[in-house]
Amino acid sequence: MAEERIGVFVCNCGTNIAKIVDANAVAEAAKDIPGVACARSYKYMCSNPGQEMIAQDIREFSLTRIVVAACSPRMHEGTFRKALERGGLNAYLLEMANIREQCSWIHEDTAAATEKAKELTRAAIQRVKYHESLEKRSVPMCSATLVLGGGIAGLTAALELAGAEQQVYLVERQSQLGGNLARVDLTPPYLDSARDILKDLILRVERHPRIRVFFESELVELKGYVGNFRPKIMTSGADAVLELEVGSVVVCTGYKEFEAERIQQYGYGRLPDVITSFELEAMLRQGRIVTKSGKQPRYVSIIHCVGSRSSQFHPYCSRVCCMTALKYTHEIKSAIPEAYVTDMYIDMQAFGKGCEDFYRKSAEAKTAFLMFGKNQEPSIRMAGPEDNCSMLIQIKEVLSGEEVEVPADLVVLMVGMEPREDAETIARLVNISRDKDGWFIESHPKLDPVATTTDGIFIAGACQAPKDVTDTVSQSRAAGARILAKIAKGQITVDALYSEVEDLLCSGCRTCGGVCPYGAIEYDEKTGHSRVISAVCKACGCCVATCPAGAIKGRHFTDEQIYAQLEAVF
Amino acid sequence: MAVRVNPMLVEELEHYGAEDVSKCYHCGNCTATCPLSQERFLFPRRCMRYLQMGLEKQLRSSLEPWLCYYCGECSEQCPREAQPGETMMSMRRWLTGQYDFTGISKLFYRSWWAELGAVMLLAVLTCMGLLSYGFTEGGRNLSVYDGPGAFLPAHFIHELDWVMGGVLFALLLINCFRMWRFTMFDSHIPISAYLHNLLLLPLHFFTQKRLRECENKQPWAFHLMIMGGYTTMLVLIVFFLPELQAGPAIRWEAHIFGYLASVGLVIGLVVALRGRLLKALPYQRHTHESDWIFLGLLIFIVLTGITQHILHRAGLPLSANICYVVHLMGVVSFEVTQVPFGKWSHLAYRPLAIYFSKVQAEAFAASVTPFVVVPALETAAASAPPAGQRVA
Repeated sequence: MAEERIGVFVCNCGTNIAKIVDANAVAEAAKDIPGVACARSYKYMCSNPGQEMIAQDIREFSLTRIVVAACSPRMHEGTFRKALERGGLNAYLLEMANIREQCSWIHEDTAAATEKAKELTRAAIQRVKYHESLEKRSVPMCSATLVLGGGIAGLTAALELAGAEQQVYLVERQSQLGGNLARVDLTPPYLDSARDILKDLILRVERHPRIRVFFESELVELKGYVGNFRPKIMTSGADAVLELEVGSVVVCTGYKEFEAERIQQYGYGRLPDVITSFELEAMLRQGRIVTKSGKQPRYVSIIHCVGSRSSQFHPYCSRVCCMTALKYTHEIKSAIPEAYVTDMYIDMQAFGKGCEDFYRKSAEAKTAFLMFGKNQEPSIRMAGPEDNCSMLIQIKEVLSGEEVEVPADLVVLMVGMEPREDAETIARLVNISRDKDGWFIESHPKLDPVATTTDGIFIAGACQAPKDVTDTVSQSRAAGARILAKIAKGQITVDALYSEVEDLLCSGCRTCGGVCPYGAIEYDEKTGHSRVISAVCKACGCCVATCPAGAIKGRHFTDEQIYAQLEAVF
Repeated sequence: MAVRVNPMLVEELEHYGAEDVSKCYHCGNCTATCPLSQERFLFPRRCMRYLQMGLEKQLRSSLEPWLCYYCGECSEQCPREAQPGETMMSMRRWLTGQYDFTGISKLFYRSWWAELGAVMLLAVLTCMGLLSYGFTEGGRNLSVYDGPGAFLPAHFIHELDWVMGGVLFALLLINCFRMWRFTMFDSHIPISAYLHNLLLLPLHFFTQKRLRECENKQPWAFHLMIMGGYTTMLVLIVFFLPELQAGPAIRWEAHIFGYLASVGLVIGLVVALRGRLLKALPYQRHTHESDWIFLGLLIFIVLTGITQHILHRAGLPLSANICYVVHLMGVVSFEVTQVPFGKWSHLAYRPLAIYFSKVQAEAFAASVTPFVVVPALETAAASAPPAGQRVA
């Protein structure tokens, strides 16, 4: 390390820092430290004149390293890195000392805070001496995409990508496309036909020259990293697996329904005329609503939250069932105008566009709405010979405070959504995580609901969480758009910060690969060493800390840098 | 003990005017805004719920529909336009039908042409009866109104009134007893509570003071005019018919009350008719056929009554007699159809309901604090309801 010329810039941040920390004193104290060529304080370092000041000082004083004592790097590290580049220095020759969030904002004693700020600055100065110039890299991006699942989510994502002339490989487990939506008749709240929606999409997908559909197939292996994945597809009946090259993967594997027989008191499986929502859909598609004995029911009851919002089964809400139940009240009343329809719910989740109006219309159609409490489900039993109905539902009704018996000839159970049995397998294959309820985890619940923590793997539809067609399509198109943006850029930018394995020190114990949360470490059989895939590495440092031989170096977070920082403080 | 619901109850009440009750989603704004709703007797939401769910027995034993005076504030506030005010009105019609043991009330409410037909039939029968009496036992001369040769002598009309009144009153009394049976019997309340509060009956009957508690005071004022005018005329006719009929000179000591009553009735009825035609206030926006028949007959009686009086005093006894017969046709039709079977019965049921509600409140307060002397009515009404009992 040659004689460094370090420039120190201390920000006042208006009064944010200056109120508690004496910025001038911090700058003065820095001047005494060996290696510091100049030190000054300024009102707002991040402002244009502030940034200009840094660039100019670099040129004027031939500075080789920069320390900015200011806010958190999460705020303005990017800003100052650009300023260094404008001054002619590599962006990574910067170190920030956080004297705002970690000092002036949390202390009241000005003298003690100023001393602390001086120490933090000193630590940054000692560290920055060990910084190295680092470069970003680019790797080429394959423009093809793998879509797992041929339901509404998968079809939408495929068409979004193929519509921009990009190659799509769609892998579907069954022998036809459509997924769970193919079992549905109409969709709430506007009662559009699911059949029509799907028919159109399936036709377009099957005919599209850029989409290749694999029926009765599944993904058996996924190697590689973002922009350069190598999936292996196995088709039932074929001899060998097919290896493809894709740049991104969209997981659209969907959901399965809750098994209603798990709730004893509903009598599903025991009582002939207690059916699930999907069984009613099948009847509606046939155009006839009848009991097992072939008669039209006079009293129909619908029960919400079957397996959902329950401390015994699943705590979450399955989101689509309330509106679907209202759809049934309309369809049943249309088919059998003289029927008495009772809808039993815990809460009416009418969250979407047109849904509150849909709820009102159901009430106007003279549906009787009964409310029961969470974990106080009604129970169903056979009626007696003198009753004019086949079953009786006993319910502790909340809005009246009464325990009542409701006659029913047909009961429809709104079964909730559950993750598929093979969700764990898929998660492991593509290297994504599942939450406590088994749904795939998104990158950020608010700000990034389609990406995952594994770059290049996207999730869309119910496999991420229960949702309706509207939100599924939004997510699928969002995933498609994200991938298209990447493809438009043409290259994957690899961040300059990643870990590197030193071959000479690596004994091939593979401990690092086991702790990497991003699957960014591969083991090379031939050399017997582990290797970091820089494009996937997120520089979390787990492997660096874990390696028993200390063979892994974290770029920009080397041992020397960190030790220098610690020694300066203590 | 689970109660079996009657899913057809909503359909049944539709005949009585309840069209929008299914829209209610139980936000409770109506009960919150109601000035007359009180602890232990919260309405209208609970009644809406009983109706929606088909809890027929609970609805039949409710006093709440009668505690409502239909200011209409609830309907104004309802975000779903479920018309709670009109639904309560329809419940009053249904309860009238339930209390009536003959089944005639139900028939009249369910088909207005049956009611109208009964009105016409009674009118024709009255006409035939009066004319045949007049030409046989009566004065035999249609041109004599008053005095010994009167076509329809006062004493005859007087007896007719008392007989008809007696029968109708007896029927109404039986229905009132059925009301008590439905609403109070299961509570097993001691006689002392009933005796304690007895004065409430005439109080509310004559003043309708609870209607004053609604925000708009005008309905109370105009209703009092109608009610006051009607009861004044009733007293005059039942007890002072000879003085009224004597003429043609005006007997001021009797007739002054008649004139005052007529003024009140005319003003009140004009306001009522105008209101219903223009749909001015919330409670005037829905008029069931039975409401039109009731109002129509009242207006008919008042107009013919005034006209026959004017004709008589103006020295036109023939015209006066004809008009008198027409007037009596209206009176008989009105009283027979409305007193035991129609809207008139609210004169009995409402004061009774208010009375019963106070009796219940007092008895309940006594049962909650068994070792303390029964507190005064005000504090009894203010005590909290027990857990598990009626929900708002």
